[in-house]
Amino acid sequence: MRNLSPFHRRAAASAGAPPLSRREFLFRSGGGLGGIALAGLLGGENLLASAVPGTSSQVFPPKAKRVIQLFMAGAASHVDMWDHKPELEKRHGRKWDPGEKVELFQSDLGNTFASPWKFKPYGQSGKMMSEIVAPLGPLADDMAFVHNLVSKSGVHSQATLLQSTGFVTPGFPGMGAWVSYGLGSLNESLPAFVVLPDRRGFPSNGQKNWDSGFLPGQHQGTIVQVGAENPIADLFPPQREFITTGGETAGLAMMNRLNQAHAAERPGDSRLEARIRSYELAAKMQLAAPEAFDLSKEPAKLLEEYGIDNSTKTWPTAINAAEEADLMGRKCLTARRLLERGVRFVQIWSGCDNGFPRRNWDSHEDIARDHGPLSLGMAKPVAALIQDLKQRGLLDETIILWTTEFGRMPCAQGSLGRDHNPFCFTNWLCGAGIQGGVTTGESDVWGYKPAAESVEVYDIHATILRLLGIDHTRLVFRHNGIDRRLTDVHGHVIEKLMA
Amino acid sequence: MKFFLPVLLTTLCCGIGGTGVRASAAAEGTGAPLPEAAGRAVDFVKDIQPILTARCLDCHGPDKQKGGYRVDVKTAALTAGDHHAPNIRPGNSAESPLIHFVAGLDEDMRMPAKGAPLKPEEIGLLRAWIDQGAVWPDSASAAVQDPLDWWSLQPLVKPSVPPGAAHPVDAFVRAELAKRGIAPNPSADRRTLIRRVTFDLTGLPPSPEEVDAFVADTSPDAWEKVVDRLLASPRYGERWARHWLDVAHYGDTHGYDKDQPRPNAWPYRDYVIHALNSDKPYNQFVREQIAGDALYPGSADGITALGFLSAGPWDFIGHVELPESKTDGKIARLLDRDDMLSNTMTAFTALTVQCARCHNHKFDPVKQEDYYNLQSVFAALDRTDRTFDTDPETANRRAALQAERAPLAALVKDLESEGTGKGRVFQLERLITDLRQGAKAPERPEYGYHSQIADRQDTVKWVQADLGAASSSVPLTKVVMAAAHDDFAGIGAGFGFPLRWKLEISDDDAFQREVTVIADRTGEDFPNPRSEPVTVDASGKSGRYIRLTATKLAERQNDYILALAELQALDAAGRNVALGGRVTALDTTDVRPRWERSNLTDGYYHGRAARTTPEELAALEKEKAGLLKAEPPDSTAARLAEVRKNLADVDARLAALPPVRTVYAGTVLTGSGNFVGTGASGGKPRPVFVLRRGDVRQEGAPSVPASVPISHELPAEFHLPPDAPESARRAALAAWITDPRNPLTWRVIVNRVWQYHFGRGLSDSPNDFGRMGQKPSHPALLDWLAAGFRDGDQSLKALHRLLLTSETYRQASTGNDEAEKTDAGNTLLWRMNRRKLEAEAVRDTILDAAGKLDLTMGGPGYKDFVVEKPEHSPHYQYALHDPEDPATHRRSIYRFIVRSQTEPLMTVLDCADPSMSVDRRNETLNALQALALRNNKLTLAMAVHFANRVAAMAPTVEGRIHAAFRLALSRDPKPEETAALTAFAHEQGLVNVCRIIFNLNEFAFID
Repeated sequence: MRNLSPFHRRAAASAGAPPLSRREFLFRSGGGLGGIALAGLLGGENLLASAVPGTSSQVFPPKAKRVIQLFMAGAASHVDMWDHKPELEKRHGRKWDPGEKVELFQSDLGNTFASPWKFKPYGQSGKMMSEIVAPLGPLADDMAFVHNLVSKSGVHSQATLLQSTGFVTPGFPGMGAWVSYGLGSLNESLPAFVVLPDRRGFPSNGQKNWDSGFLPGQHQGTIVQVGAENPIADLFPPQREFITTGGETAGLAMMNRLNQAHAAERPGDSRLEARIRSYELAAKMQLAAPEAFDLSKEPAKLLEEYGIDNSTKTWPTAINAAEEADLMGRKCLTARRLLERGVRFVQIWSGCDNGFPRRNWDSHEDIARDHGPLSLGMAKPVAALIQDLKQRGLLDETIILWTTEFGRMPCAQGSLGRDHNPFCFTNWLCGAGIQGGVTTGESDVWGYKPAAESVEVYDIHATILRLLGIDHTRLVFRHNGIDRRLTDVHGHVIEKLMA
Repeated sequence: MKFFLPVLLTTLCCGIGGTGVRASAAAEGTGAPLPEAAGRAVDFVKDIQPILTARCLDCHGPDKQKGGYRVDVKTAALTAGDHHAPNIRPGNSAESPLIHFVAGLDEDMRMPAKGAPLKPEEIGLLRAWIDQGAVWPDSASAAVQDPLDWWSLQPLVKPSVPPGAAHPVDAFVRAELAKRGIAPNPSADRRTLIRRVTFDLTGLPPSPEEVDAFVADTSPDAWEKVVDRLLASPRYGERWARHWLDVAHYGDTHGYDKDQPRPNAWPYRDYVIHALNSDKPYNQFVREQIAGDALYPGSADGITALGFLSAGPWDFIGHVELPESKTDGKIARLLDRDDMLSNTMTAFTALTVQCARCHNHKFDPVKQEDYYNLQSVFAALDRTDRTFDTDPETANRRAALQAERAPLAALVKDLESEGTGKGRVFQLERLITDLRQGAKAPERPEYGYHSQIADRQDTVKWVQADLGAASSSVPLTKVVMAAAHDDFAGIGAGFGFPLRWKLEISDDDAFQREVTVIADRTGEDFPNPRSEPVTVDASGKSGRYIRLTATKLAERQNDYILALAELQALDAAGRNVALGGRVTALDTTDVRPRWERSNLTDGYYHGRAARTTPEELAALEKEKAGLLKAEPPDSTAARLAEVRKNLADVDARLAALPPVRTVYAGTVLTGSGNFVGTGASGGKPRPVFVLRRGDVRQEGAPSVPASVPISHELPAEFHLPPDAPESARRAALAAWITDPRNPLTWRVIVNRVWQYHFGRGLSDSPNDFGRMGQKPSHPALLDWLAAGFRDGDQSLKALHRLLLTSETYRQASTGNDEAEKTDAGNTLLWRMNRRKLEAEAVRDTILDAAGKLDLTMGGPGYKDFVVEKPEHSPHYQYALHDPEDPATHRRSIYRFIVRSQTEPLMTVLDCADPSMSVDRRNETLNALQALALRNNKLTLAMAVHFANRVAAMAPTVEGRIHAAFRLALSRDPKPEETAALTAFAHEQGLVNVCRIIFNLNEFAFID
């Protein structure tokens, strides 16, 4: 009875050690409300409200059903993309003095460093955005900016985990895992939480960013390698002479027969039924997933809008916007197709580990060289994705969160790069329940720290959960004696973000 | 923690918890008038309690006690509070912090933190109540729970066994069943039993011959013989080590960013296997893993066991790219020790002490101070490779030789540098290394010299450097003093620089005669130089010793000190003759590496590297080269030759010893760069302070090594002398954990063992025996087992045997409608729990059935991946692994466990996540598991081998299916199964039959 439900805390605290009920047993073996075993038995989408008597009144009416998290690995520079700082232009090249000691990760304090790119206003809101995010400019009035985020660490590993899981140490469930656990799946033939990593490698901490941690295993983010021969591991067997289409069907039928006979001799153990059913679901997934990943039927014009380029077979060795857009575009379009088919949470990564040559946002050496192509290659497909969702009416049900582990400094590292800035960075959100065209918090004149109050990842997570209808303080799982939450003991819903 | 939000939070939620300094300063500063006290007699229950309840209780009541303060319990309200206690000063409301806070005297400590401020009338009532003596009837106070009043913290006393069954376990279990009127299940059949117990003890199926033998064995002790045979099998240690490694969160890479491999982790894994197979007494098993080096010196196990402390993940970047002086570097090290101590306390005592890093434990008797006392226990350690010998004799000989070698090597060094100033070459080398990096050089953590604290500012203190005998006639041109820069306390430049001081030079080290004054600034206050070195003209004066005397000390918070980063004496050539010189002082506070006398002449101070010119660097290089070439005098040369010969002799004998081995352990590190460890100071533990809100920038009171006060019988204090070696701290903790009076240790281990046998612990939260954990279903049984275990031989094998010979263990796992009505979850054990096989057992059984399982024991783990880009962030590519590689067909316990990129098949089958302590595997059933078992390249490859194997065993398809069932399922197929599968085999081939068998529910679940 570690977990009667995601909202078990109050009930468990008052009860002693009640015997396991059938339902509890299911939660444990099938693993929480999102478990496939339960999905079959309880049915329906709104498991949350119906499954836990007495808690429905405390669940907010959901404004969104799905989430896309866009994660820029390596720390994208807010002052070069979203957070316009005229002061940097004014004082470019002069000594940077924020009036206090600055502790930098790698470098000594460099001079004030203006963005290499020009900013201009967009939309009714007049939001200033940089050239390298220009494709998103026309959507400025749909986007809500948070310029006063702070991290707890200037180290990639810890800071990335903080944004992805809410904790700086590994072992905690990713946000998508929590959403999967809390809300379950909209389509049992596909995983509830899908991760689309950069094909060139995982970000810092690898899978720990989308792990299920202590939550049951099926809530872990399922990796889909977009464009790979086998996008999902083991979805299909490798080619072997003994494997034929007819044989697969016959084999499953035979196994099912033996399993049914075995279960019939062992009444009262629902796990046996659940496991039989898991093979049926696997077969369904074998049908559903390839169809979801298949971009070939998408119109050419749309592919072009997403930046997908089927004609180029080999790319230049130097980092370039077209290649970045192609990589990102495939993930964004796949994400849309997954959302359409009921996936709850899609996490898209831009950028890989800190290898050479650099293919992530950690621009210590040269902002212009790396941020230019990465950002243009991100903005084009992301803009296409938002437009696409809008046209299909899906944006009304989907929250998009753009994030990164921290920001970058207003001063130069060397003369062309920027060091880490964990004291201030930007997130933006758009879509279901989000107030477009607003900025809910500002940074100071440098983009060095928040101008006034600050916001942490807990607040962003709390807000997204709220839009999904979840009270972040009540989505709880007891692990090693602690009632764990995505938002730890923190988190305030940012009302100003919500429409 | 970065950096203003935590501060903000302090004001938001920490309640009465800010800094006292700030509050009183504000009270004085603003001079805002307090609302007048009400001019009438005030009644607590009628007038005061409603205010407290309505406005304070949310944050300072039963649910939360922010700032360690609550207003519902009389004693706590009147006396407690982390930072301002007492918050209520009876008779004096004007001085009561609580009144200051509710009146908003301090902007940052306005109470209530949320909602409107109290009305002036309400404050007036509070004031009047306090002024009238803060009378609080006991009847109006909530009761506080005694934190020690909890089942797991009660002294462990062996209860008597209830009557009614021959086996004590059955007696306890059946007594509970009888109370509910539930009849236990009958015994399972022999085939089921041997399959159950063989998987349970070895993680593998019984061979068909073993099944047949047991089924046919009519002797009365047939079962006991099976149990004993399995306990004696080396496979037992391999199976049960995995359980322990789950708890210890063992892995073979560091995790975090870059996730580099940890190639010497495996000796710890082998230690666990061997300890279990050799049935090492449990208390020794515990002691070795915490302090084996101290408690079992000279034994290999005493070192390899320390892999327990380092088993968890390690933040490479946080340690190697960041020094301990930076905030992020401090956080990395705080979290690193947090992992060590919580691993220890969770594994052995199931206490969730890690909750108290930021605040007192909300439910269990663990205060923040206790937590930081535990941090002190591990404060000298890092995670690193440690060398050791496999046999005690070699270890002793090596230790003796090394003891012999150390003075010889030191003597050689001394003789080599004789006449050139001891330590000078060494300091030059270090300095040049740093200076070469210029502005990019990380600041060294060695701040400088620090005096003891004085109460009065006019206390006279001095510190001096010995320039060496040869220098007494060298005319000095300049003396340079650099003020200290304290990053650790966040004070910055100019720390400790005296206000009034003088510089003198003399050939008399006591400065009693022939003292020449170089500079005298005792007449008026000298402005703090901050980061600018102070240069004094020496006008050609000379002498062997140079002394700084402070006549007016620098002020800290409420006391006074002298600190200085560097003292340089420059000759006409600009050479610093003080470099490496011996430093003496009136008194000193050594907190290595930051504060140490020798720091004064190490050539280094904050910002030094950034000031270096190429000319200066060239001069230093030249000087070093000159020193290295300098010929010692003849007498010295002869002595040097002799000592060198002796040294070479010792080295030869050392080289002749068997090679040392290496284990990745929690140990004292002698490192370099940012990752220096405490080795340079002989393993002196880092000072540990209680960190307010767990924030490394908010150091509170210093901690002492101690444990947690969980029992009236067992003191938490260690009472170690201050100069005790660091290992004494760990030894003391090990003694505390294995003390027979410890109420947790024995219950915890017995419960873990019970869980692995029965599928569920007697307490269902094996890692948490606190108030958030589960109370035991059979408390008397748990205590009976725990006390017996503690007081006996502490033999795990005896415990296994005891549990496995019970009828309770041998019950059938079948359902029973009647019993399910009362106890559907089988908490009372009326049946055996059907078990889903763990990831490792599934894989091992597949390999075993295929005839491919390689039972080689020990050594480096097999790698079922190909590493790409190893130089930076290795990519562990499982997809590129060849499943036919026989090197990877060993038991799963020997798998090389990567943290950031986990093995897909094991992961989908719910193997333990090495990033956290896993007391109990998740048991999930989902489509991805089904896909993996059907389609994974390993299961397919093994299905082929399985088919080939059974094909060789029987000529007919029926015979082959029969053999396959016996190998994989430990039974004969039923006729209808044989018929159906034979038909299927004719159509789809035997491989697909074998593949089906690997995917059967009967394969995945053990009755």
